[in-house]
Amino acid sequence: MSARSFRSVFMVASCAGAALGCYLVSLNVASERASLEDVENKIVMTQRDIRSLQTEIGTRGRLAQLERWNVKVLALSAPSADQFLEGGFQLARLARPQEKLNVEAPVVLASAPAPQPTSPSLVEGEPAMESGAGAPSAAQLMRQASLKLPDREEPAVVPVVPPAQHKAAEPAKGADTKQKTVKAAEMKPAPVKAQKPAESKPALTAKKAGDKKEEASAKPVTKPVRMAKVDPLAPLPVKSNSKKTAKESGSAR
Amino acid sequence: MNAPTPALVASRPERLRLVGQRRQILTMMHQRLMFGMLVYAGVIALIVVRILWLAAFGDHAGAKRGLASLVPERGDIVDRDGVPLARTMDAWTIGLHPGKVIGDKLTLARKLAQLMPERDEAAYFAMLRSGKRFYYLRRRAAPGLVEAVNAIGEPGLALEREPDRLYPQTTLAAHVIGYTTIDGHGVAGVERAFDKQLSEPASRGQPLQLSIDARVQQALEHELLFAMTKFSAIGGAGVVMNIHTGEVLAMTSLPQLNPNAAGQGSPEARFNRATLGVYELGSTFKPFTVAMAMDSGIIKSFGQMYSCPQELHVYGHTIHDTHPYGRMCSVAEIMKESSNIGTAQIADQLGATRQKAFLQKMGFLNRVNIELKERGRTLTPGSNWGPLETMTVGYGHGIAVTPLHLATGYATLFNGGIYRPATLLKVDRTHAVAQGHRVFSEETSYKMRSLLRLVVMQGTGKMADAPGYRVGGKTGTAEKLINGHYTSASVVTSFAGVFPMNEPRYVMVMMLDDPKATKETYGFHTAAWNIGPAFGTTVSRIAPMLGVRPDKNREPDMSLVLPFVHEEARH
Repeated sequence: MSARSFRSVFMVASCAGAALGCYLVSLNVASERASLEDVENKIVMTQRDIRSLQTEIGTRGRLAQLERWNVKVLALSAPSADQFLEGGFQLARLARPQEKLNVEAPVVLASAPAPQPTSPSLVEGEPAMESGAGAPSAAQLMRQASLKLPDREEPAVVPVVPPAQHKAAEPAKGADTKQKTVKAAEMKPAPVKAQKPAESKPALTAKKAGDKKEEASAKPVTKPVRMAKVDPLAPLPVKSNSKKTAKESGSAR
Repeated sequence: MNAPTPALVASRPERLRLVGQRRQILTMMHQRLMFGMLVYAGVIALIVVRILWLAAFGDHAGAKRGLASLVPERGDIVDRDGVPLARTMDAWTIGLHPGKVIGDKLTLARKLAQLMPERDEAAYFAMLRSGKRFYYLRRRAAPGLVEAVNAIGEPGLALEREPDRLYPQTTLAAHVIGYTTIDGHGVAGVERAFDKQLSEPASRGQPLQLSIDARVQQALEHELLFAMTKFSAIGGAGVVMNIHTGEVLAMTSLPQLNPNAAGQGSPEARFNRATLGVYELGSTFKPFTVAMAMDSGIIKSFGQMYSCPQELHVYGHTIHDTHPYGRMCSVAEIMKESSNIGTAQIADQLGATRQKAFLQKMGFLNRVNIELKERGRTLTPGSNWGPLETMTVGYGHGIAVTPLHLATGYATLFNGGIYRPATLLKVDRTHAVAQGHRVFSEETSYKMRSLLRLVVMQGTGKMADAPGYRVGGKTGTAEKLINGHYTSASVVTSFAGVFPMNEPRYVMVMMLDDPKATKETYGFHTAAWNIGPAFGTTVSRIAPMLGVRPDKNREPDMSLVLPFVHEEARH
């Protein structure tokens, strides 16, 4: 009875409930939509602010203003053509300007002794004398080119001349024997260093203009080293030539 | 029994009547009730419908303007890299409603005069007492002032935001961009030419991208202004163009104009000399004459000789040279020392018909072809284009064109010989390169490179050289026509050049109106001394920006001209 009589009431209630539920859902959706709209609005407002700020910055930092500052304070100017580089290679070339000077020195040295040794080996006494006289001049050239510590080496030059003349008297063989004696003499104080100059010094002299010689030779004892210097000038035509040419070409590369 | 009967009989109709009346009244009441209910329901239904309508389509209290608010009232104008050149911003406007003022008018007038001193107290007081509804006190007011006015707290003062056109770069490219009225309608430049596109809601959201490069524009303006002040010229003009696309990268006219306050500028400043002003540009025309002669087969090599006497007497007139040869001279030498006499003879050989045809094809006889509305009409000899006029036109006298004409002409000459109209819009996917037509042959175009490079290397244009950038060009000094007479006291000097000459990409034309001689120029006021150096400086500034790499080892094929230059002729 009661259930049947209240049926309509239940119907109405359930309808109302359903309607309310639907309404709540739509309300929820609407509020979500509104908040989304709010966010979108905020975005737009922010974009607008950004725009106006950008405009303000752009106006304050306008090109004409920058130009004015440049004219008054910075004084920057357009780069000249030389300030542009082709690439890394050109940049690297700019980075070591001092080495050019060093490169010039060995070129002078290498060419100076090269022709002289060939003539003494062929001819006898007189031309050998010339070569002996010519050799120190080449050595002087070396020192001038290197521009370092000429005072120490000048005394070394003076003794160089007479032994060279002696050698001229007894040409190639004497030189060989003397070389050996020199080696023997040098072996005692500094064996390693003595060998090196005997074999490769002409090449070294050609290459590095005195600096290393001094360091290597002046340190142990001065006299034997002078002797070693004297010798290579006269007897090393063949060896020095080949080495020099090889090294010259190497350095050129 | 009888007595009640009549009563009964009589009473019956009465009762009946009563019943009938009651029923009538009832039905009437029902009807009225029904009517009232219907009215009531109708009203409610109306309200409900309205509410539903509002709920569905109406604005609610929190609703603001949607995304549409970011679309400006008028479209932006930007340069080719997107740098804003013109923008519409919300600016504060201070207004006055005299009727709504409630405070003491005299005090208010005093305060206003203090804050905005452009009017005095009395004027403000008069405004307050007048019966008018509204006054603008200040448009585009600064925020500080707005705050101060707001602090007065007078309801009669209206503070509103109003869209306002702002040119952030001020004078930069003012003549290209133009300006608007206070209501936002373009009256000059691009603002006028593209007014429809900028103001239509459909298209104004997208900024209008110009071909102008702001940095190049600034460099050009600055250097030209520097030259103008240095040589006390009354005006100047400059154009930089890409010769292959016809894009105008920079275009300026001096004296400067601030489009933010265009009304305050003088008419002289508002005048666009680059497109509206026509000038006899003098010797800068000579390369055209030589190219025309080469294309017509008159000049076969730059070694072709002409007699170059001290002065040439033709058709009752005398033609002079600034550096007379007084001997035979080659075409290369004619161009190198800018010989009027030699060029006149070449032009004479060419003849008026062919000259006119070439000039027509280059667009020199019509208004310059560009989007702007301010375009000057070319002045030509017109109907009396006789042999003498042909000669003078050959070296740039008797014909007046705009500097932009000249730039387009040089672009035509050096891009391989194809005429393309100039454009102010950036060439990209949306805007293709304009259709061109051939004027000169490719070979002529190629040969002319070395000829103009010679002018800069050895000739009159030496000062315009920018080392490494291979500038080639031609100076031009034309006497101005004052009161019907040419006078050497007042000249128009110009330089038209192309760089890099071994592979031409850009053309630049610079012009000074009436420059004066100074101590540094040794009393000369020719193009070589004033606009030439300015041209060189400008090129060395803008070329790196345009991606032109300086290289001192590259040159155009100079073997075409160098054999034909007499060594003694060198100064």
